[in-house]
Amino acid sequence: MVAENGAGTSIETSALTKRYGTVVALDTVDLAVPRAAVGLLGPNGAGKSTLLKILLGLSRPTSGGAAVLGRDAIGDGAEVRRLVGYMPETDTLPNGTTAADFVSHMAEMSGLPQRAARQRAADVLYHVGLDEERYRLIGGFSTGMRQRVKLAQAIVHDPELVFLDEPTNGLDPLGRDEMLGLIERIHRQLGILVVLSSHILDDVERVCDYVVVLDRGRVAASQPLRAQIDDLADLHVRIDGDPEPFLDLLRQRGIAARPAGIEYLSDEFIVSRDGDATLDAIRDASAETGSPLRLLRPATRSLEDLYVDSVGMTAVADERRIQERAR
Amino acid sequence: MSASSGEYGEVFDRGYRHYAGPRLGTPHAIWALARYSMARALGIRRSWTAKIVPMVLYGAAAIPVAIAIGIRAFVPGFEFLDYPSLFTAIFLLVGIFVATVAPEMISSDRHDRLLPLYFSRPIGRTSYVLAKLLGAGILTLTIALVPVVALWLGNGLLSDEPLTAMQEGLGDLGRIVVAGAMISFYLGAIGLLISSFTGRKSVAVGVIILGFVLSESLAFAISQALQDQPDLTRWTFVLSPSLTIATMVDGLFGNVEFSADVPLAAVFAVMAAVIAICCLTMFAWYRREL
Repeated sequence: MVAENGAGTSIETSALTKRYGTVVALDTVDLAVPRAAVGLLGPNGAGKSTLLKILLGLSRPTSGGAAVLGRDAIGDGAEVRRLVGYMPETDTLPNGTTAADFVSHMAEMSGLPQRAARQRAADVLYHVGLDEERYRLIGGFSTGMRQRVKLAQAIVHDPELVFLDEPTNGLDPLGRDEMLGLIERIHRQLGILVVLSSHILDDVERVCDYVVVLDRGRVAASQPLRAQIDDLADLHVRIDGDPEPFLDLLRQRGIAARPAGIEYLSDEFIVSRDGDATLDAIRDASAETGSPLRLLRPATRSLEDLYVDSVGMTAVADERRIQERAR
Repeated sequence: MSASSGEYGEVFDRGYRHYAGPRLGTPHAIWALARYSMARALGIRRSWTAKIVPMVLYGAAAIPVAIAIGIRAFVPGFEFLDYPSLFTAIFLLVGIFVATVAPEMISSDRHDRLLPLYFSRPIGRTSYVLAKLLGAGILTLTIALVPVVALWLGNGLLSDEPLTAMQEGLGDLGRIVVAGAMISFYLGAIGLLISSFTGRKSVAVGVIILGFVLSESLAFAISQALQDQPDLTRWTFVLSPSLTIATMVDGLFGNVEFSADVPLAAVFAVMAAVIAICCLTMFAWYRREL
């Protein structure tokens, strides 16, 4: 069972397993996800939706434990659901109801009194850009407007964390950009934690600080997305001229460096970082050897690099095709 | 909310505000869901076409009462419609009403795929079913009970001594309320159970109406087949909602012609058992994985 203090984590799982007959949807998943905007990536059938359903209490695991915001998601599901919001992937809206009535009703379902629910619905619909249309029947809405209503109902009760399952599905490029802008705003300005499940790497890269990659029910990666921004990240360096004297000087100071690309062509290096002293050493070595410094930046690994490492080239090719279609 | 005033107007900053008010418990959510479901079934805040069927049925249920009270107003002392007769007269309307509103209340949630949204909120699956039963029961009360209560009121007010007549008729009022409540929740539970299995409202409407009709035929056929076994025959009413309601109403209002062979408590027990079985089946049905 997962510990329930969970002060620094939004999601914790311990040997979480879910089987449907002989199919293993989740296979002993261990996670400790920080309080951040989290991207949940993985190819079809990786177990993303199953994980979300278990965290929401919509599905029970075969074994293992899960905690959301420090609460036991399996034993105390009602309390977890009080604190979270959920935007499902499927089109889940009543066509014959106005957006204001529906979102207000969903607020009441989360325990808000009737008057407060109506006020919150109006506020939230304004924030997702549906202020003018809130008294129109949902049946007449475009796909983008329907996605906004789904987002509004997910945050109307002011949750601490919101699960967004493929929120840009079916949107054109402009609608997708606007939806991602809204999600960024929800996290960065409104302070609501976000778990974004998506097939689209660009969406996760734009919105999230942390990424969990699932592959065939297992955790393929779980790490900060922008580790390179940390002071701890290694440094990517390029100089003009002969690199050997420059590298010798670094080695004399106990700093390791390796080629960044194919060795015999490379004038770029990844320099192991050990605090600000490494930056000083690079500057001094460049000056002493007369090798102009052309590039100095954190050694980034793109999300695509991470995904390739985690899931493999086949999956990346699939994702690219999906992205092409989305565009 | 902050505002900066200018010569020609003001620009308001509607910045996001976190909600710091009360968060109420499960009873509030159950009532909110029941209220929303009732409003939706009646077509309130929806297009005019959604309002037609319930309004027509309400109108039809009001007609016999209006005629009875009208005649009573012009011909004092003349009563051609007693309460059991009115319950029987409006049974068909109540059945159609249930067949109309129950699918709207529960099938449409499945059709619109709203269940993940409900079940990802604090309200549990048991509470969801209870809220739907409460909504269906209350809504059916408005057509099964209100016309009979109106007749009781009309009879009382049109008598020579209204206050005395109404005081003396309190027993009848109690029986009317009990009968109306039993009919409403009994039929509501059956209608909801059938509707919960499909997301297509038209299918649910058809199955409910067909079920009411066929069940009566089935009960009749079985009672004919068991003619020589009166101990079994008298219980065939349980197979048909209309016969169950008729037996309950006759027993409650003392019409021994129908109810002498079956104790009233047994009829109530049968109706309560049907309501319980419908609820338990729905609990199990909605407990499945989404």
